[in-house]
Amino acid sequence: MPTAPSSTEVAVPPHTPEGLLTAARRAVVDVGILFRFRRQAVRRRHLARVLSLVFLGVTLGVAIIPAFVPEAGGPNKAFDIRLLMPSAMAGFLVLAMSSAIASGGGRELLSRDQASPYPVSPTTDHLGALLMAPLNIAWMVQAWVLLGSTAFSLGHHNLVQAQIVMVLWLVFSTALGQVMAWSMEAVRRCRGGIFVTRGLLVAVALTAGVVQLTGNTAHVLDQVPTLWFFLGAIDGWSFRWALTVGVLLAVTAVAVVLGAVPTHLAARRMARDEARMETDLHPPRRLPRSVLGILVRTDRASVWRSVPMRRGVMVLAVGPGLVAIFGNLPWSSMTILPGLVASGGALLFGVNAWCLDGRGSLWRENLPVSPLTMFDARAWVLFEFLATASLITIALGALRAGMPNAEELAAVVCTVVVVLVQVVAAALRWSIKNPYPVDLRSARATPAPPAAMVGYSARLATSTTITSLLFSGAAHVPDWRLSVTIAIPCLMWSGVRLVRARDRWCDPVVRARVVATTAS
Amino acid sequence: MTQPPVVDVRSLHVRFGEVEAVAGIDLEAYAGQATALLGRNGAGKSTTMRVLAGVVPPTAGTVTVAGLDIRTDTLAVKQVTGYCPDVGGLVPRATPWEHLQLSARLRRLTGWEDRARDLLERFELGDVMNRVTGGFSHGMGRRLSVVLAAMHEPQVLLLDEPFDGVDPIGVEATFEVIADARARGATILLSTHLRDLAIQACGTVLVLRGGSRVAAVDASEMAGEEGARAYRALLD
Repeated sequence: MPTAPSSTEVAVPPHTPEGLLTAARRAVVDVGILFRFRRQAVRRRHLARVLSLVFLGVTLGVAIIPAFVPEAGGPNKAFDIRLLMPSAMAGFLVLAMSSAIASGGGRELLSRDQASPYPVSPTTDHLGALLMAPLNIAWMVQAWVLLGSTAFSLGHHNLVQAQIVMVLWLVFSTALGQVMAWSMEAVRRCRGGIFVTRGLLVAVALTAGVVQLTGNTAHVLDQVPTLWFFLGAIDGWSFRWALTVGVLLAVTAVAVVLGAVPTHLAARRMARDEARMETDLHPPRRLPRSVLGILVRTDRASVWRSVPMRRGVMVLAVGPGLVAIFGNLPWSSMTILPGLVASGGALLFGVNAWCLDGRGSLWRENLPVSPLTMFDARAWVLFEFLATASLITIALGALRAGMPNAEELAAVVCTVVVVLVQVVAAALRWSIKNPYPVDLRSARATPAPPAAMVGYSARLATSTTITSLLFSGAAHVPDWRLSVTIAIPCLMWSGVRLVRARDRWCDPVVRARVVATTAS
Repeated sequence: MTQPPVVDVRSLHVRFGEVEAVAGIDLEAYAGQATALLGRNGAGKSTTMRVLAGVVPPTAGTVTVAGLDIRTDTLAVKQVTGYCPDVGGLVPRATPWEHLQLSARLRRLTGWEDRARDLLERFELGDVMNRVTGGFSHGMGRRLSVVLAAMHEPQVLLLDEPFDGVDPIGVEATFEVIADARARGATILLSTHLRDLAIQACGTVLVLRGGSRVAAVDASEMAGEEGARAYRALLD
């Protein structure tokens, strides 16, 4: 029987839900709080500041310098690039969407487990993911390509106005990508949602294939609505330019607000693919003959049974391959792809390779096996993971590029081998130097904190791009032996670094630190 | 004791940067005996267990396990120990059976499957042996960690917080594992916060405080109200 509170009881006021505006304001404030919390956790702040300045410098450089090189804004190559700009803008939008979809709604400002004790709303999560989106190698490189192409195609004439529109386009594309990603995630988490989303992706791929096979690619690209924005961008200080800026600002605001809706929907539903991965049965298989064999099998299972890695590698392998097909990339330019794919693949887990074992690393460390064998198994699994993605990309690109000549083939093969060894060596070196305790269960999980990921992205992008450009140049020289000659010292250099990392792993003190950190 | 200790720790120090996790622990454990390590958080129990498992190298002091020097014969020490770590201890995307296969292959075991199945059944994990451990509850994970530590019938069984979050059936099964190990002459070291369970499972109790050993007593002295008071006094 309900009774009135006695004199010693304190009446608890009923909870009144916040209004939409108050909740939104609170979410924005919370993003700031979480961002500052993350910033405090950055270990090497000086390095982070230097990297931020480098990022800013590179961005300003690519947005300005190409406008002042010879032929910039001219009637030949620059004009051809200008014609391609609307397609490039559409390409960036597709990239922003696919990247956000692959990561299940974008990167987390605070991981799910870490955020669980705090009242973090889905809106905060959505805004945080938006903030994190540029901290991604594919996003950065494509943004630079877009800004650089704009500068070169226009020259210094109307450059500032055009770049303002391009930056707004980058922001809008990222926000729209988030909306699409959260919508897909909300659908994916419904009953049968996984099949619906997969069906959608297959339908998109089939449509793209039909367009390509029927020779309608150019016609379709001519119809993309980005042309309206590009024409506005190059119109100088005019009403048309102001209208373009106004429209972009408005649609970006709408996308940012709209993104919160599917985020809330997704947050109320269970992540089915993660749940399925954790409850699927894996019948016993026969024991491999060798110790290395079983270690490789265990590590391989850790990689391929992880949702973020499966999704990520699919996007990394197929995305650039489709770009190569649609862009009719010649073999000599295809050398750029393996570096991009391998770098992206390493950012899925390779840069913190020992986190694969999670809290199991303490138990694994007690197993009677040489640390060298453990290292070899991990290095091999990382190598084959990156090689699989790179080869799928090359195979897709080859569909349209036709038969390569000996020089081109040698250049591409050498690039793949060199870049893979280079990335594996770097990733394993970093894994030992800076281990992080992360749980790669969630599709949104990353192997290191955002600031560290930016550093890794930048370093990988720089080193692999330089390597790729070397071989791209070699592909034009009519002697296939040049690529092989370049590859040998590159392989030796990366090989030495890999062996050094392997030696370092043998140090029990170093290993104990890595194991204790990843298991914590 | 006439026989030499199987686990012999002399003046063990473990330092992580500025932090001294273990500050001169001495410890002996004998064949067929179970020894409990008790103490507050940060007393150095888990670090000592990690050293004995060959996971963390000692900064100073001597540690021998089954006559093997932990510094020079680390791999051989891992061969003779079974270790249930304090946290997790499971590879998240591998199934229990795959964990057992890995352990069996690396320890060159033959005909291990029946014992492994029996242990999984005793710990009520038979139904989930082909599911990845990432979806396991904390208690299930703990139980599997004990199975993994005990499966190869090690000479030295190291159980770090094996009862944490485990249901009564799991606790009983762990008691059985400890009793079996004692019966076949293994040495057991059990680290836990649960004094009552430690007393039931072990014959000797070592109390650690601030990285050092402050008492080594017979388990019966730690029993009951009197034992609780004595233990409490040792912690302060």
